[in-house]
Amino acid sequence: MARGIIIEDLHKQYGVGDTAVEALKGVNMQVGPGEVVGLVGPSGSGKSTLLKCLGAVIEPSNGRMILGGESIYNQKWNIKDLGALRRDSIGFVFQAPYLIPFLDVIDNVALILMLAGKSNDESRKRAMELLEALDVAHRAKAMPSQLSGGEQQRVAIARALVSRPPVILADEPTAPLDSERALAVMKILNEMAKQYETAIIVVTHDEKIIPTFKRIYHIRDGKTIEEAGEGREI
Amino acid sequence: MNVNKRTLGLLAVVVPMLLLFIYVGMTSGPLAPVPVTTAKVENKGVSPALFGIGIVEARYAYSIGPIAPGHLQAVYVDVGDRVKQGQLLAEMEPVDLDEKIVSQSMAIKRARDGITTAKAMLKEAEARLNFAQIQETRYRKLLEIKSIGDEVYEAKKQELQAAVSGKAIAKANVNSAKKELSRVQSDRKGLSNLRDNLRLIAPKDGVISARRFEAGSAVMSGQAVVEMIDPTSLWINARFDQQRSAGLAAGLHAKIQLRSQSQKRYAAKVQRVEIMADAVTEEILAKVAFNHLPSLMPPIGELAEVTVALPELPAKPVIPNAAIKQVDGEVGVWLVSDGEIAFASITVGENNLNGEVQILKGLQAGDEIVVYSKHALKQGSKIDVVEAIQP
Amino acid sequence: MISLAGRDIAHSWGKFVFTGVGLGLLIGVTMTMAGVYRGMVDDAKVLLDNSGADLWVVQQGTLGPYAEASSIYDDEYRGILGMAGVDAAANVTYLTSQISQGDLDVRVMVAGIVTTVLGLPGQPRFLVKGRHITRGHYEAVADVKTGFNIGDEVKIRRNHYTVVGLTKRMVSSSGDPMLFIPLKDAQEAQFLKDNDAILNQRRRTAANPAFNNPAVPGLLDAVLASQSVNPFVNAVLVRVKAGFTPEQVAEPIRKWKRLQVYTRAQMESILIEKLIKTAAKQIAMFLVILAIVSAAIVAFIIYTLTIGKIREIAVLKLIGTKNRTIAAMIIQQSIGLGLIGFVIGKIAATFWAPVFPKYILLEPSDAATGFVLIMVICVLASLIAIRAALKVDPAEAIGG
Repeated sequence: MARGIIIEDLHKQYGVGDTAVEALKGVNMQVGPGEVVGLVGPSGSGKSTLLKCLGAVIEPSNGRMILGGESIYNQKWNIKDLGALRRDSIGFVFQAPYLIPFLDVIDNVALILMLAGKSNDESRKRAMELLEALDVAHRAKAMPSQLSGGEQQRVAIARALVSRPPVILADEPTAPLDSERALAVMKILNEMAKQYETAIIVVTHDEKIIPTFKRIYHIRDGKTIEEAGEGREI
Repeated sequence: MNVNKRTLGLLAVVVPMLLLFIYVGMTSGPLAPVPVTTAKVENKGVSPALFGIGIVEARYAYSIGPIAPGHLQAVYVDVGDRVKQGQLLAEMEPVDLDEKIVSQSMAIKRARDGITTAKAMLKEAEARLNFAQIQETRYRKLLEIKSIGDEVYEAKKQELQAAVSGKAIAKANVNSAKKELSRVQSDRKGLSNLRDNLRLIAPKDGVISARRFEAGSAVMSGQAVVEMIDPTSLWINARFDQQRSAGLAAGLHAKIQLRSQSQKRYAAKVQRVEIMADAVTEEILAKVAFNHLPSLMPPIGELAEVTVALPELPAKPVIPNAAIKQVDGEVGVWLVSDGEIAFASITVGENNLNGEVQILKGLQAGDEIVVYSKHALKQGSKIDVVEAIQP
Repeated sequence: MISLAGRDIAHSWGKFVFTGVGLGLLIGVTMTMAGVYRGMVDDAKVLLDNSGADLWVVQQGTLGPYAEASSIYDDEYRGILGMAGVDAAANVTYLTSQISQGDLDVRVMVAGIVTTVLGLPGQPRFLVKGRHITRGHYEAVADVKTGFNIGDEVKIRRNHYTVVGLTKRMVSSSGDPMLFIPLKDAQEAQFLKDNDAILNQRRRTAANPAFNNPAVPGLLDAVLASQSVNPFVNAVLVRVKAGFTPEQVAEPIRKWKRLQVYTRAQMESILIEKLIKTAAKQIAMFLVILAIVSAAIVAFIIYTLTIGKIREIAVLKLIGTKNRTIAAMIIQQSIGLGLIGFVIGKIAATFWAPVFPKYILLEPSDAATGFVLIMVICVLASLIAIRAALKVDPAEAIGG
């Protein structure tokens, strides 16, 4: 598939020799455009390591990663500028919004495009589109500290989407939220995934939202097992 | 453009800071203009004056003392006493002089007695001569009648000759006694003169200005026992810098200011300008006399300031001397035209004591010149004309 | 691309400006220290410039008249006037003295100058008020730093002088203001003692049989008179005719008149090297310490600002910000701080410099040098923070 992400037999080993620890022992995953899948597992299962590999923040030890139809990792990185890769092709949504406090909302979103070399006006125009889609356009000129938690989270999602990345990695996006808000966030994610043809991987152990996934990857002891989810409508 | 409150707040701080910075650069660096005051050159006459200092002296001062060393017996006057001519001021000890005079008087008496004795002896000699003559005549007659022998007559002739000699001797003794009297009389006169000189008398009317020795002191010849002055002859012995004494001449009017009476100015006149100047201190000396003596006599040696007025000079361009500067060895002023300055050489003439100077060459009435400036000016300095310089 | 550094500064501008002001005051102090040194050098130069002389003729074997005492006869100048290349020669005396007038008690250098002709070396170059001395005695021109005004009566030794003119920036090499009086009065003041000392001296002289011989009347008076006359001055200031070099005129005077002669360059080196040397070393050490302290403060502040942004830096790196963009942000902030510091420092130094008792000279070249140094220090000081920022792992944005 053109957009989406494919992981094949991914290994990650920390350390060498006697102290070596293998965090990932052959992970396989496949998420298509518009799909929102869950990634569930206990702590110490390699969840964070997998996320970091997916996010091109650490280098796997072995395996293959294909992103948006392009092989980005095959036993070694095929991309020279990982920063640019993250900027253009991977979106991040965290537990906390992590907005840049000294930029206003619209520039927080537009920054990624500006870093990619687009003009300030063009970047802000595209950012505005997303803010409108997420219903926070009226807060475009506010500073992040002036927004409510939910508004900040939506701005973070807008930021993750603004460069139309083929994949978004969401790390416990609903953990601090109550069930109503959590489901609202999941609803948005699902809508955006479809609208922008983005594959979204949601790392979570939040019982409130697990039922919403159509597919779930369980990870245990460095391996993943695919499972069909409930796929409840939100 | 993002113009929000934040940016406005920032500008509110940054802009005044920048303005202040620029202000600082303009007013304190080399770009800043120099504040100056200016004045217009006027045609004016100046009355130059000469200024000198001197001390009060007496024109006539006398030192009275003995001509021979001796002890001072008594001093009869003190400082400040007014004395008359001939008054006895002091006396030296005569030592044995009085005794000598007495002795000499005795010698005179003795000489007189000597004359009397000599005269008496002359009479006696005359009497003897008389008798000897009578005897000689008698015995000559007797010889003629051969009543006596030759040797008897010879003896009487010889007696007569002896008597003649005796009279001559007696006469000579009288003369000698007379001369002796003269001699001792002269000696006595001499001692008397010496005695007189031990009496120190005032040669003129005056005031005692110093009393140097007390009774009993040993005084050498030439040392003054008392000094006196003629108080009507007080004047100022004044000194004028040679370079600034042009025009000093006898007869000019002057003003005297005594150091102890700084408020009063006494009218005076230059009595004479000394022929001998002081080559070491480079000063010209002059004597300046009070027109009327001050009622309270100023002490001799008191310092005084003398200002001699010279006749007013005809009008010429005049500037305050504060405007005169020297640049590269040339004396001149900074001329102001169109806000720019240019150095103009000048030739300086006379000035008065207030600092107004006449300019002989280089300026005209109406020229504007720099008088005071906050810093030294150079060719090309920018100026800012102000009322007065704030230091 | 927006300026991250600019946005960050604008967002917390209060903190930034406050820090900048603090740094600025420190920089102001540093500039003032440099200004003190320059002021001392200028004091020496101004003394030499103001005298209007090209040559200083002093006692042989001395570094006078400023660095060492020098006495020459006051008629030497006549011989010097006659030598080739001499345009003007004037006697001068210098006497540093504590003078009281009214409530003021000032340390002053009393300069005895020739006042009879305007335009000779040694006279004050310009006036800010009043006039030059016209009377040969008992008038004075004072520098405004003495605090005296026109018309004030000033007592020096036993005479009173009326201040008739005021001048500015006429100072001795140690910064004491000058007071100009006529030469003869100054000669008297320099060697004539106070009344008690004079009486004492008379007593001693009278007690000495060599001077008080009754066989020689008038001897004692003559000796006492000679003791109260002062035929010495400290130096002769010479102006050289156009067309002659100072050395050309100085050498014959040295050879034939057996006096020491210094040119302007030599006097400057005497004053600056010998008089100011210790103070200069001290100030140089201070400047080094202040520079190190300033660098340390800038480094500390920028490091703290950076560490406070660690999370944001991790996020920025995660979303693809290049290392050099982040480094540029930090350097720009450091330079911004330096700029604020420089501006504040320059303003502060300019405003508080006149308040200092010593003359402070702030030269534009020093300000420019200071600016460059501050920028260099800021860049170097930010390196520590940059190193910390670059070490940040974007993975930290992704929690546990």
